[in-house]
Parts: sequence; C-alpha cells; structure tokens
Amino acid sequence: MAKGIVISPDKCTGCRICELACSFIKNDSFNPKDSAIAVLPYDSVGLQVPMTCLQCDDPHCMTVCTVGAITKDPKTGVVKVDDEKCIGCKMCVSACPFGNMTYSSRHEGVVKCDLCDGEPQCVKLCPSDAIEYKELDGPLNKRKNIANLFSDVFGEVAE
Amino acid sequence: MNVKIDGKYYSGNKGETLLELARRNEIEIPSLCYKEGFEGLGRCRLCLVEVIEGNSTKTVSSCVYPIRDGIEVLTNTKNIVNMRKDIIFLLLLRTPNNGYIRKLAEEYGVKAPSRYLDMEREEDCILCGLCVKACEKLGTNAISLVNRGITKKVSTPYDDASKDCIGCGACAEVCPTNAISLVEQDGKRIIWNKTFDLISCTRCGKCYSTEEVLHHIDEQLGVKTQEYLCESCSRRLVGEKFKEAFQNLI
Repeated sequence: MAKGIVISPDKCTGCRICELACSFIKNDSFNPKDSAIAVLPYDSVGLQVPMTCLQCDDPHCMTVCTVGAITKDPKTGVVKVDDEKCIGCKMCVSACPFGNMTYSSRHEGVVKCDLCDGEPQCVKLCPSDAIEYKELDGPLNKRKNIANLFSDVFGEVAE
Repeated sequence: MNVKIDGKYYSGNKGETLLELARRNEIEIPSLCYKEGFEGLGRCRLCLVEVIEGNSTKTVSSCVYPIRDGIEVLTNTKNIVNMRKDIIFLLLLRTPNNGYIRKLAEEYGVKAPSRYLDMEREEDCILCGLCVKACEKLGTNAISLVNRGITKKVSTPYDDASKDCIGCGACAEVCPTNAISLVEQDGKRIIWNKTFDLISCTRCGKCYSTEEVLHHIDEQLGVKTQEYLCESCSRRLVGEKFKEAFQNLI
C-alpha cells in the first residue's frame, strides 16, 4: 500500500517550519524558495493550505520528460527526479497542473517532493499535525472519499 | 561479468559501458561530454582508460567501451594521466578564457606556454556535442555539429533562426563549459539567433516560458492549455480551491 502526505488545512498554523525543514534537508539552506512544500495563507478565512507534490498516478511531469529523468516507483508510488539525468528543459515545471514543481537556479535543478525516501522531514517537524504521512488506501478507502469530495475541485484543474 | 578495475573486482551487466560501471561504483574517471541517461558520445576523450585483455593493452574511451568478461582496467596510470593532460592542454588552447577549462587545467597542473596561448580568443565551446544530444532527446533537433576541421561548430542550419527551436534552454543547461548564450530581457528570450516572446502569466504577469515550449508540452500531454499560468499561480489556484472546499466543510 502506498503511503503519502495527507494535509489538513484546518490544523495548519502557518508556522512554515515545513518549508524550512525541506529546504534545509534538501539544499542545506533555510530558503523557502528551495522548498518542495509551500504554505499558502488565506488569512481572511483563517485557513492555511500546505501544498506539495501529490505523487500523481499518471504524472504529467513524467510524461513530458523525454530523457527519462522522472520515474514513478511502482512500489512506493513516489515520483522521483534523477538530477544526473535531468537536462534542465523545465518542461515538467510548466506541465504540473498543480504548480508543485519549481526550478531553483541556485541549485540548477528542479525542486520536487520525493517524500524523503519514506521519512518526510516536514511531517516529522510539523507541530500541529497538519501534514501527516500515512497509508493512502486504508480500509475505509479514505482516498476515494477524499477524491469524491474534491471531484469538482480537481476535475477543473487536472484532466 | 567480472571486471577488474584498479586491482578490485566489480560485477557489471551486459551492455554496460566501462564508465557506467565505474560511476556506479564511485570510481573517479573525469569526463566532460558524458551525461547519465545519454549514450556515451566519446568526443572529449577525457575518460580514457587502459584496458588489458589477454596479452594486449589498449587505450579506450570508457564512455563508449562496452565491458567484457575478464578484462582488467587501469584508470590512473602515468600514461593515462599524461594523455589526459595533453587533451586538457589542447582544450585550454581552444578555450583559453573559459573558467571551467582553466580550473580543470589547474587541477591537472597543465600550463600552456604563452607563445601558444591566444588570450584574445573568445571561444567557450569544446565541441562535445552534449547540447546536440539534449536537443535530439527532446525531439526538436534544432541544432547540430556543422562543418569539419577548424570551422566545426554547433549551430542551427545556416546559422539562421531555426523553426524547430522551441527555446527551452536545455542545451545551455547541459553545456559543461557554459558556452551557449541564452539572454532573457524585456520579456524576450534570445537563443541561437532566435528571439522568443516570453509568455507572461495571466495572473501575476511573470514571464515564465516560451509559447513553443508550452505547445510542445500540450502536444505530449494531448491537452490544450486553457490559461497560461506560472507555477506559483497554478499552485495558488489549486490552493484557493482547497480553501473554498474546506471553508464549506467547517
């Protein structure tokens, strides 16, 4: 069963520790711009939405990558970028319908969540459990429920 | 397949090249034109190694040499190091002002006598062809190595603005010596004598890509982009929908 990051915007306090953790673990710097997770603030309604790669089943980024630098692990479901193979055409950045891929010119490479090989540091450091790492296909088929809940949302964005 | 490299045995897969096997086992062999995922080009020749097979010894480019069972490989003999120095010396004469090649020459202790060096020379390309390969892999095939001998260079057909170039800039990105000029200013991107109008995000106005690149993506995905959005704005758009959905839940 694939595990993934589950977000609860109602629990997020907007402290942005996840952004700093990600950028520090991956790029040795505390720069939210180099982070694969971003918190979008909606102060007027008191909501903060942490956004990160959804590790899609049929990833657009992988489809447009002609050099095979992006692969999806069939076991863990993680969509990973091989920096050695990447030629920097940045098509994946434009192709992601959720905008969850960015390009860092400082590191000359794309920034994308790879779930830290099964131990996402953002989840570990989140003080309010707004991001959790858990089984996506639980016995209650939660994933399907969520998908139904958001069908109108994602239907408009994804194909 | 067992291969002995510098006295240690490594097992390799059929069809693998020597350089791939070495990189996989973290054995240092220098190279300029090799990129993982691309087949070896064998152009820069920096990855030279000595291969001993039976009674014969030969010098080969490891990036294009498929391994064979029982061969012995030496990656750092005096002979090999001298040959690499000669190659770097010639590269330094070709590109005397290139930072990367100068650094490499320094590392190998290569000094070119001033009578050979033309410091006025403005050349950065070492003709490794990595950019050509990247363009080919993208399926655009806009650039190629043209001419022969001392006039050899990388260019578009007849140095004109190529109709195939989509302005993605991957060639400039893979270039080991930063020889390809990509200028971005005033909402335009200039590369290979072609000027692209950059598409600006319909929400924030940030110039983020060329129309040709977005068309290329659409073609591969089999979709039609409805609205030109930069990555931050597409993220914001999804975030907003999340927000709305959650607002209704609370």
